[in-house]
Amino acid sequence: MDFDIKHIRKQLADTPLVSPYPHDLSVAIICDTFRLANLRPPSRQDWTVLEQRDRGAGLWKEQVMMLAHLLTATELRATTAATLRPNMDATTLLQRFFTEVEPLTAEMIRSNVFRLEEFLRKWVHAVEGRVKDEAPQQSAARLKQLDYRTALQEMQRADEARKQEVERRKQELQEAALRATEARGWRE
Amino acid sequence: MDARVAPRANIRRDTASQRPHVPWAESIAAGLSRLAAVPREDEARALLDARLEWLRGALLASPYYVRRLQQVGLHPGDLQSLQDLRHFPTLERTGLALHWGEVSALPSEDEGCVVVRSSGSTGEPVRVVRDRRDCLHMWAVLRFWLERAEVALPPRPRVVLLDALPGGLEYSVRLPILQDGALHRVSVLRGDARERLRRVSPTVVFSDPEGLRWWAEQDGLPVPGLVLSSAQHLSEALRERLARVLPVPVLNYYATTETGPLAWECFRSTGHFHVLAPDVWLEPDQDEVVVTRLRPSVLPLLRYRPADAGTVRRDACACGFQGWTLEGFGGRGACGFTTPTGRSVDAWALAWVFKHHALRAFRLTQLAPTHFELELVDATEPGPLRERLTGALRNLGWSDAPRLDVRAVSGDSLVTGTKPLPFRTRIPREGNHT
Repeated sequence: MDFDIKHIRKQLADTPLVSPYPHDLSVAIICDTFRLANLRPPSRQDWTVLEQRDRGAGLWKEQVMMLAHLLTATELRATTAATLRPNMDATTLLQRFFTEVEPLTAEMIRSNVFRLEEFLRKWVHAVEGRVKDEAPQQSAARLKQLDYRTALQEMQRADEARKQEVERRKQELQEAALRATEARGWRE
Repeated sequence: MDARVAPRANIRRDTASQRPHVPWAESIAAGLSRLAAVPREDEARALLDARLEWLRGALLASPYYVRRLQQVGLHPGDLQSLQDLRHFPTLERTGLALHWGEVSALPSEDEGCVVVRSSGSTGEPVRVVRDRRDCLHMWAVLRFWLERAEVALPPRPRVVLLDALPGGLEYSVRLPILQDGALHRVSVLRGDARERLRRVSPTVVFSDPEGLRWWAEQDGLPVPGLVLSSAQHLSEALRERLARVLPVPVLNYYATTETGPLAWECFRSTGHFHVLAPDVWLEPDQDEVVVTRLRPSVLPLLRYRPADAGTVRRDACACGFQGWTLEGFGGRGACGFTTPTGRSVDAWALAWVFKHHALRAFRLTQLAPTHFELELVDATEPGPLRERLTGALRNLGWSDAPRLDVRAVSGDSLVTGTKPLPFRTRIPREGNHT
């Protein structure tokens, strides 16, 4: 069963998030999804480990809450349950997913169409599913376009390169000014 | 004439540096022609989408956009098609005025960039970074317009910038970018303007409604091939008068200092401004102009709002143009001041006098033919402004200095809506804001 991203987004637009889910409820919703697929969900200790791995400025709980919302408000849960394979490890899958979505805040996922799509596609990728009407290569290319984590690194690199260039030009101007002063020599 | 009212002008005379850009100018004109002949919208959009690759790179090179996009969880790679634009933040004039140095990318060292200041005639003055191609873009677009008007350029064509501004600035420079031609700025305020025009015999004349009104009153002037007017209010009466005395196409165009030329009014259908895609994209179905620059430049403009009203729609025009057309364009609030002799002059010809004042910080009202009131938010030391304004009015037709009352007011009292209306008249006349 393929994930219909367009339809999921439409369902989500019809069911906006009114108030945040409590964390325990969000965890229960995600665990239930694994149970639906006859998979053992992460244990309480596994969830503690997942939380400890969070390096995204305390965004992990927001991401858990948004995943729970998407699973309950749309067909994502049913499609996920149908896609998960019996030999999958829920904890490893979640670890991979939360690493991939690390810089995404709940606000971004809620209000920004690109970050919502990225969040959904990364979930599809984590559960090794397919996007409806897309070849795997197309899905991979789209995921690459959307990847906010890589984009942040790219923006940071561009910013540093620009600062270095500004510094280099400033240095060159100073050196040129110094050379001009020395060439003039000392005059009263 | 009082030339003291003219601002200091820096005339760029390194015209030889235009020559390497001739192939680029030809490609710009060819690109405009090509897109204006694409009948299918999806095909045209695909051509425009292909230009977003440059924009993505330019956004990444702009410190302002990198910061702004990060604030809202976006990145340049999200912009894959024109459809995606609506999810991106807009840039207001005030934002550009505030962050002008950061919006532009770091210019390459041999680019020869300049910083120009908008006249402030549609809001607060904005400083704009321009690279060499930005400075030459109008000449590239002129090639396209000449083709649309079916005007063939002679070798070494002469172009005249006919100026009715109160400063009376004049100069002549070579114009290698346009078939080794020459550009002459001629002021209608100078006594020898007619003589110079006869001597120059221009193929192309750039002016504004005030300059064209002057032209229409003269006898024995040479007939150019094409006349262009910047999209200030060009009244029906003036159009008819020009049609009688100047049997050549008059092209009314819409441009801003920040964006360059954006659209041109159809020769056949008044009020329909054809968008200059693929150089710019004006978002359809909005109530105001929202511009994204698709032509490589040191200054990327993403969803820039120049604060002009208008709605863009896809159009297959009777003139043969296929593309997007701006309708209901409402740039500046038209206002004509009446001289003591009863002649009407465009009040916006005074806009540059207030270059250092935000439009919402002043209002000039004509109360009687020789009586004006200037309301200023910051009225401290208005002496130099008063002198400059009186000189400008003298050049426009008030040979005896009119009475000018300067009044200090609060900023709120001048706000009349979203669009600033800094010029008003109490003398009733068609098309005026009173």
